[in-house]
Amino acid sequence: MLLLTILSFSLSFLFPGNSVINMSGQVNATAEQLSLLAAQYQQNENIFSQYLAYISRIFSGDLGLSMASQLPISSEIANLLPATVELSLVALLLAMVTGIPIGFIAAIRHRKASDNIILTIAMLGYSIPVFWLGLLAILVFSIQLGWLPSAGQISLLYEINHVTGIQFIDILLSDSQYKWQAFQNAGAHIIMPACVIALAPATLFIRLARSAMLEVLETSYIRAAKAKGLTLQQIIFRHAIRNAFVKVIRDVGLQFANLVTIAMVTEVIFSWPGIGRWLIESIFHRDYTAIQGGLLALSCFIFLVHILTDFIYAALNPLAREKKHGT
Amino acid sequence: MNLLDIRNLSIELISNKKPILAVERVSLSMKEGEVRGLVGESGSGKSLLAQAIVGVLDDRWKVDADRFHWRGNDLMRLSAEERKKIISKDVAMIFQEPMSCLDPTTTIGEQLEEAVDTEQLTGYFWQKKQQRKLAAAQLLHKVGIKNHEVCTKSYPHQLTEALCQRVMIAMALARRPMLLIADEPTAAMETTNKGQIFRLLASLNQLKNMSILLISHDLENVTHWTDTLTVMYSGQFVEAGTTKQIFEKPYHPYTRALVDSSPKANLQLPAKSRLPTLPGSIPILQHLPIGCRLGPRCPQAQQQCVHAPKVKNYHGHQVSCHFSLRGSY
Repeated sequence: MLLLTILSFSLSFLFPGNSVINMSGQVNATAEQLSLLAAQYQQNENIFSQYLAYISRIFSGDLGLSMASQLPISSEIANLLPATVELSLVALLLAMVTGIPIGFIAAIRHRKASDNIILTIAMLGYSIPVFWLGLLAILVFSIQLGWLPSAGQISLLYEINHVTGIQFIDILLSDSQYKWQAFQNAGAHIIMPACVIALAPATLFIRLARSAMLEVLETSYIRAAKAKGLTLQQIIFRHAIRNAFVKVIRDVGLQFANLVTIAMVTEVIFSWPGIGRWLIESIFHRDYTAIQGGLLALSCFIFLVHILTDFIYAALNPLAREKKHGT
Repeated sequence: MNLLDIRNLSIELISNKKPILAVERVSLSMKEGEVRGLVGESGSGKSLLAQAIVGVLDDRWKVDADRFHWRGNDLMRLSAEERKKIISKDVAMIFQEPMSCLDPTTTIGEQLEEAVDTEQLTGYFWQKKQQRKLAAAQLLHKVGIKNHEVCTKSYPHQLTEALCQRVMIAMALARRPMLLIADEPTAAMETTNKGQIFRLLASLNQLKNMSILLISHDLENVTHWTDTLTVMYSGQFVEAGTTKQIFEKPYHPYTRALVDSSPKANLQLPAKSRLPTLPGSIPILQHLPIGCRLGPRCPQAQQQCVHAPKVKNYHGHQVSCHFSLRGSY
């Protein structure tokens, strides 16, 4: 976290232009305003107190104004981040739900035809570039077949108040009489981008799950369980899956940063009103304040997911749950 | 009738190049209520043989035998599933390093309960869970764990190695087996714990008339607990007989060397002198000698030894050597 803020702080010096303007986003400020801001950011002090001033402003929720729209960054992020959170979490869930079981199946049927087929498909899926896949998906499913909408989070017909920002929760909270239609519509909108995002991580999960399962099946407790007279199904469901899952879940957090990067590109393709699209646009607009703020917010989100997966890992694995005792 | 009767069992490692004969024509038979020791250096294929009997070798290994009878049933003729059914009902196995043989993410109680045979439970399905719990607690009492509540709730890493081995024995007992195969049950254990485990096994043998196949590399220790012994070297059968026969009058040069190398057997040895041992070490699987595999290390070896010797039987004392030491006693 500290490193993140240092990075974001240093960006204001690395970007061209005045660092005060970069930090505050006040492009059209008068000389008096600028000197006031400089005092606020303690520009005349040494770099360490500048940094402390910057941190204290972040904690008070002030990320400056967007250079392009002159709106406060924090409110923009509050508007946009939930959409990205929604999309990436749905994609992560999709990737895990499909990838991990398929990987387990491949491991159980090790060195058979189905194992090879799954591995080949996983390799292919991992190699497909996401923007190409996204465009292809739009071409096939929304233009040619017309099954799914091509862009946006929900049809404009539905008026949903912005409460949490996560569309599905907002819909459930709203008292519109078309709640369920809106829910279905939002569901139809999220399927395609989520699938496109989920493909690459899912293939990774397949391989992770496969190798984890193979490792578990080689261990002596599986052999002991076999000697106990348990059937293969009992062994797999009672012992192997949990142990393999513990190994996989540790890597899920690491893969999440990757997934968010893919999500940013996909948001542009599907015009998803999320922070990724906004961030890429602000890069085009040379909107330095927005880049700083967006970067910080996105990294915080990834950070949180990391911590969350660590907690799940600890919950699943009794070995990690407590301090090691001497043996 | 013999409980287990194995004649000329071979285990082959299927590899890309040439299949490797890891265990070559080993015979083993066990009677009811017998405690047999299976002795050999590490890498002599004792564990492989045990795993082949229980049927937990993976598909890289190919098992072949002239005869493989379990209580009169020819197991080689049965399908893999039927064999597994018979074996898992009557034969149980405990392994070395018990801690790694218990699922680290499941509590001891759950693992014990799933080992309990459903057929032993009488009652309706809503009573079964309770009965399983009870059975698990009883099993723990049988192996000398009095505090079963703490034990069932803990995970394997929370228990000591000896306690884990007791749990493993309890699991093995769950199906009331007729034969217990103990694969170096006390490796990496302290002496006091070793004694406890062996005493437990001995009492199980006496009280329940359970046969035990005790696998060990420690000839001296094994002789205290076993009635009969089988000695293996580098995947080949060496010698079999009663413990007394083997220990006092070994017929095979290898067994002779094994007995001589233990300090207790030759107390007349002068102080601070070297214990007699065979030169060299056990050959690796890729470079096995032809014929009798002891050949290059054997003090008695002659030209004839490039052919594998036939097993000779002298009143139940079997030996596989061209030049047995029988005449020297």
